[in-house]
Amino acid sequence: MQRVVHTTVRGDNGICKREHGMHSGWSWRQYISVLLLACTLVIGGLGLSSSEAAKPYEGTTVKMIVNGEFLKYAMSLIEPALLETHGIKLEVEVIPGEAFVTKTLLEFTNGQSPWDLIMFNPSNFADYHRHFEPLDPYIKKLNLKLDLDDVAKEYRSTNMYWGGTLYAMPLDGDIHIMFYNKVAFERPENKQRFKEKYGYDLAPPQTWKQWDDMAAFFHGWGWDGSDNKLFGAGASYKENGFSLHWWRSRFFAYGGQYFDENMKPLINTKPGIRALEELVKTVDYYPPGVLLFESEEPKTMLIKGEVPMLVSWTSTGKRVGDPNQSLIVDKAGYGVIPGHLVDGKVIRAVPNTGGRSLAISKYSKVKDATAVVLEFISSPEQSLKIDMDSKTLMDPWRNSHFAAEKFRSAFPGAGEYLDAIKESFTYTVPDPQIPGSDEYRRRLSEAVTKALQKSVPPKEALDQAAEEWDKITKRRGLSKQKEFWKQQATAMKEAGVTFRPELADK
Amino acid sequence: MKRVSKYRVRRFLGILFTYLGVAVALGFFLFPFLWILTTSLKGNEDYFSFPPVWLPTHPSLVHYYGLFSRGNGWLYFKNSLTISTLSMLAALCFSVPTAYSVARFRFGGKLFTNFLLLLRTMPAIALVIPIYVLYRQLGLINHYFGLILLYTVFYIPFAVWLMIGFIRDVPKEIEEAALIDGCSHLQALLRVILPIIVPGLAVVALFAFITTWNEFLFAVILTGAETKTMMVLVSSYTSGSPTDTFFGEASASVVLGIIPAFLVAFALQRYLVKGLALGAVKG
Repeated sequence: MQRVVHTTVRGDNGICKREHGMHSGWSWRQYISVLLLACTLVIGGLGLSSSEAAKPYEGTTVKMIVNGEFLKYAMSLIEPALLETHGIKLEVEVIPGEAFVTKTLLEFTNGQSPWDLIMFNPSNFADYHRHFEPLDPYIKKLNLKLDLDDVAKEYRSTNMYWGGTLYAMPLDGDIHIMFYNKVAFERPENKQRFKEKYGYDLAPPQTWKQWDDMAAFFHGWGWDGSDNKLFGAGASYKENGFSLHWWRSRFFAYGGQYFDENMKPLINTKPGIRALEELVKTVDYYPPGVLLFESEEPKTMLIKGEVPMLVSWTSTGKRVGDPNQSLIVDKAGYGVIPGHLVDGKVIRAVPNTGGRSLAISKYSKVKDATAVVLEFISSPEQSLKIDMDSKTLMDPWRNSHFAAEKFRSAFPGAGEYLDAIKESFTYTVPDPQIPGSDEYRRRLSEAVTKALQKSVPPKEALDQAAEEWDKITKRRGLSKQKEFWKQQATAMKEAGVTFRPELADK
Repeated sequence: MKRVSKYRVRRFLGILFTYLGVAVALGFFLFPFLWILTTSLKGNEDYFSFPPVWLPTHPSLVHYYGLFSRGNGWLYFKNSLTISTLSMLAALCFSVPTAYSVARFRFGGKLFTNFLLLLRTMPAIALVIPIYVLYRQLGLINHYFGLILLYTVFYIPFAVWLMIGFIRDVPKEIEEAALIDGCSHLQALLRVILPIIVPGLAVVALFAFITTWNEFLFAVILTGAETKTMMVLVSSYTSGSPTDTFFGEASASVVLGIIPAFLVAFALQRYLVKGLALGAVKG
């Protein structure tokens, strides 16, 4: 106001008139300034409110629980983007795998958990689901875009739903595929020697019979043309969650099934015995120490060119394609695991070992923010970032992951690798997903490894495991277990997995 | 002359085989540690090389740095150190007077010492769920105090049982002399007996420290993100099929996990020579 008065005094008549005409005593410059200021405030305010609307959970911390440091590393790949996009801080706690189920279930059954976002193995869905929030209400309330149609069909039933309710989103797909070193299969000398010895052409094995022949053939000499004594094949035969998967690929191909309709274990029937006898018979063609191998040892032997073929989890492909680690980057081949030839048709059974999923804890105090984090981590863009990193051990699980040009061109043969995974989906057989599945798997794995150690005959080992399974069932309640198994058996039947022991004779 | 040279040869062979035996035993027991130590200094490409890389060509502390910068190495190290030290001190504070009263005044009767040992036979796994539930009610989950209390309670029976032996070995005459000179029983215990049973205290301290440092089950079940210990960290690195990326960090965490226990053992080993009390009343 001071300036106006001053201007009026100083100005000529014309100006005085105009200024008097304004009554307020403001100059046109001041009006423009005020207008500009108002515009700035309105636009700024709008901007502020829109940014507030975009980040309604800014400053929130979401606590997540995982079972290994490599998963913490996986989350570190997306944490900065999460903070930038939503202003949410992700705190990841690691509980070692040995104690993970015990610790988390102890917390949950006491009606609380210090964590908001829970990573779990879908094989334990039966034990966990009642502690999780169903996701549908959050999809509606927060308009979450989970791109459910983009999730590979095979992981939807096993990794996301329980009793028809959506509880979780996958973090990691987990099936087995076959990896091989093309050098072993394409060397003319190898081809000739193999044909002379076995009477058929050397090519990536389609059946377990061929696999065993080739493991025996390749073992103990330099199939790559070197003077090294190389090994016949690779595998992970350690107990506690490893060896059983190599057994079950054969077991289901030979017509096996976990239980009958009365929960009587069928693992010690003909298909199971044949599968285990074959593993025991061929164990000497694998590297020494195979009974202690987890997943990484045979993968390393494959990429160092020490084993010609390996059945393993799909994440192996990323290590095969990493030139910093792998000596077989452009020599690697990928395919569906072998099966059992019946009447001219190969019956395959690819283990779907559950992988990992993410769910919101029922006891979380920041459920909405956690739902947003879940949406973010499982979004096609962020999940691809996690899956493509060779250090994460995470496997692709969205259809868009398989189609992503970035992934398909990430290393030589990446397209072939992704196609092999997709093709394998057709043959997947899930883990047992009834309450106590962790216990059932451990007992079975112990029996398989015991037989592989040749300390107990295969039949006896499986009988012992079946006995243990009976005990678990009784302890958990036969009728309850039967009800859960009925659901899974129906789903498996629909997928073509039924008990056909006669196949084991073929 | 012949007898002398035969004797010398025999003596030489005896010494040679003794040293050879010791060298083989040392190699057998120390090789795993040496391998872990070199792995913690190796680059990722060396872990599974064939032939094996025995000594890293370019040793680096990058995994140790990773442990502290990427992981929670420092926090867990500090937690382990605090919990182990306080459990050790608590075990000593409670076990010495208890053992003294049992050794000198037959507190608890004849069966008490056997009962103490019986407590040690109970498997920890059987207790984990009830203790978890109790601790949850008391709000002791994710607290140093909860773990220290539990470890102290676990170690006291063994520590008392061990200390009883050491105190009984101390000749009563020494203590009686102190009492005649005007000491109370407490003063006699603190000023006369304690200095004599230092080897026993060292054994109890070492046992309590190392056992606490290496304990895993309760350290994972009764803790939260803020109170986890080194052993939990080691398992976090090795659990769920660790990739090559984390072998270095896993090895570094093992090496770091061993150092404090090694230092405590080294510091206390000179006290472990029993027999200090022998001859104290001679002459």
